[in-house]
Amino acid sequence: MPQQPFETLVEMHRDEIFAYLWRLIPGDQAEDCLQETFLRAFRAYKRTTLDSNYRAWLYKIATNVARTAHTRRQREMTRELHRPVAPEGRTLLDSIIFSENLKVVLQAVEALPHKQRAALMMRKYQEMDYEDIGAALECSPGTARAHVYQALKKLRVRLAGDLERSMEAE
Amino acid sequence: MNEKPNPSKHDAAWLGDEDHHLIPEPLTEALDRLYTSGPSETSIAAAQIKLDHALKAEEPMVVYYDHVPASPIGAFFVGLSDRGVVALSFEESEERFLTWLQRRSKAAVVREPNKLREVVSQVLDYLEGRRNVFTLAYDLRSLTPFQRDVLTTVQEVPRGKYLTYGELARRIGKPGAARAVGQALGSNPIPILIPCHRVLAADGSLGGYSGRGGVRTKEALLRLEGALQ
Repeated sequence: MPQQPFETLVEMHRDEIFAYLWRLIPGDQAEDCLQETFLRAFRAYKRTTLDSNYRAWLYKIATNVARTAHTRRQREMTRELHRPVAPEGRTLLDSIIFSENLKVVLQAVEALPHKQRAALMMRKYQEMDYEDIGAALECSPGTARAHVYQALKKLRVRLAGDLERSMEAE
Repeated sequence: MNEKPNPSKHDAAWLGDEDHHLIPEPLTEALDRLYTSGPSETSIAAAQIKLDHALKAEEPMVVYYDHVPASPIGAFFVGLSDRGVVALSFEESEERFLTWLQRRSKAAVVREPNKLREVVSQVLDYLEGRRNVFTLAYDLRSLTPFQRDVLTTVQEVPRGKYLTYGELARRIGKPGAARAVGQALGSNPIPILIPCHRVLAADGSLGGYSGRGGVRTKEALLRLEGALQ
């Protein structure tokens, strides 16, 4: 049996990988990252073996692509810090009133170490088990779980004051 | 940070530990509002178009081909891209074969017998009864997902066996699509290698065959494979 055509892989996983990238990188940049992820995958596809876990393999590539894009974005934002900051380009939230509270949470999530942020998204919003998260992050399932846990802990510490205040306000 | 994780009940639910359900709490609510919905339909559509364009640009620049002047079922052409066999054609004229090939692959075509040696030898071995299965890669990028589905499924039918159009339609999860399946088989760019001749009409008659010699070639292939007496 020859290897399944690459198109099949694209059709099966494109939308879920896009949703994952969207959670790591805002708006337009997620589209570019999707393109970059599958181009890298396409070029490497012939070297993979038939029994590869293609889902985890695609997540691994997407995680690396997102890291590069995120680092670049952080650098640009630091450079522009003293200028008036335009509203975040999160297309989903354009239509919602973007409360200060959510903005603070978003910033806290984006400040997490990359692997912790990636693990958090895969675990909570991408329906992956620790086996696959580990494969995507090139670590053991136990370490994958520890990444999620560390992410939660950091967010709680960082957001403790803000979240309580917002509760009182509601 | 080497401390042993000792999650609270909120964290335990997050981590997927047993016997915990997500309990409403401010952090979870805030994160869900940010991340549950996923990208919008518009954004998904835009991303798909961008990706399709990018992948199209990665298609092969060159397709190599060769002509085999004699075999048990006559002369044929074969074409090969960087990813696998793209064409096996009983077209009589080289010019018409090349026109067809270029339209399909949008690539430059170069006659290069050396590149095709393995493909040609496997096909001849098969036609002359020395080989049962092929160990070649196929490039089906120019086809629609439905056509690829049909042809990939036909590859699972071993030598000496056959299916009906209706059975094949059921196998790809589209019962009732027997006619569309027949059309998809007719679009097979690499007959013999993808054994579309192993699909017959429900009444046992041979159905159609688009290769040269039509149904007679189909019959000859099935006899060669021992599916017909």
